[in-house]
Amino acid sequence: MNAISPTLNGEALPPELQALFNSTDGAAFEQALDGLLRQREQRLFRALGLLARDLHNAMRRIGGDLAVEGAPATMADARQDLQDVLEMSAKAAHRSLDFAERMRPETESMAQHASEVLAHSSGDPAVAALARQAGEFAASCREGLADMVLAQSWQDLSGQRIKKVVSFIGSVENSLLELVRLTGALAGGEAPVAAAKISSQDEADRLLSEFGF
Amino acid sequence: MKILVVDDFSTMRRIVRNLLVELGFTNALIQEADDGENAIAMLRSMPFELVVTDWNMPNMTGIDLLRAIRAEPKLKGLPVLMVTAENNREQIIAAAQAGVNGYIVKPFTAATLEEKLGKIFERIAASGASA
Repeated sequence: MNAISPTLNGEALPPELQALFNSTDGAAFEQALDGLLRQREQRLFRALGLLARDLHNAMRRIGGDLAVEGAPATMADARQDLQDVLEMSAKAAHRSLDFAERMRPETESMAQHASEVLAHSSGDPAVAALARQAGEFAASCREGLADMVLAQSWQDLSGQRIKKVVSFIGSVENSLLELVRLTGALAGGEAPVAAAKISSQDEADRLLSEFGF
Repeated sequence: MKILVVDDFSTMRRIVRNLLVELGFTNALIQEADDGENAIAMLRSMPFELVVTDWNMPNMTGIDLLRAIRAEPKLKGLPVLMVTAENNREQIIAAAQAGVNGYIVKPFTAATLEEKLGKIFERIAASGASA
């Protein structure tokens, strides 16, 4: 039987592979092939792990750079900042509502007084005109207050979007750490118990270093 | 008349409460709950005549609250008005299929709230008269 000389992209294979291809020992061939594949996998997983580490470091660097300009340094800080925005906007909306609730009874009593004066003005046209004007003013104030109350519903609409972004940031952070954990486990490190939720930068760094990244 | 306003945002609960007063529900006893779970507990413990609920809430959403209300023999006839920022077709259909009595998309006006409430009470009056 003639020896087979397989080529890869036109180039001859390394001699050890050539020898394996021509070997009649099936088990040795399989074993050698498995070994080669495992080697390739290990390299891939290690590369993935390093990629995850680079990504993580890049994010920290970006955070550090932005922090100089007064922006949040970490994802946790960013989440907290958004949470603060939510609370501040709620506080502002409540203050406007306080005002509307305080003013509404005053418009009612003004309208009441105006109609009483109008009833007892006994023909004085100046008094009647002023009372009528006061009554109209009270009515338009009341309408304006109702509009102002409604306008505060934008706090709820913007707040809901902020809440969604807060949870999105959290899920990006978790996915990134999950990637680090997974690539670390594939690259040969021991997977930590049940991929517990990561809540702090320190925990994230500890986890990364467990896998040698 | 007892009304339960359900929303996780305290501002929105207060806005709905203000609008209800503005619309003349001055003698109504308006109670508040911050999610569906607390709402269903309150509905079980005392009688209400109307529920105004948001959709997006933690623990139990507005649509789940609506389904829970319709699934309980004691509560299933309770009118539920949904006031929500969710305005996609699927969600409106889901609410309709779950038996919602009215659906208001935020931001809304006092006139819209008045119109939807009017329709709900008209229907109640009509079904009461035919019963």
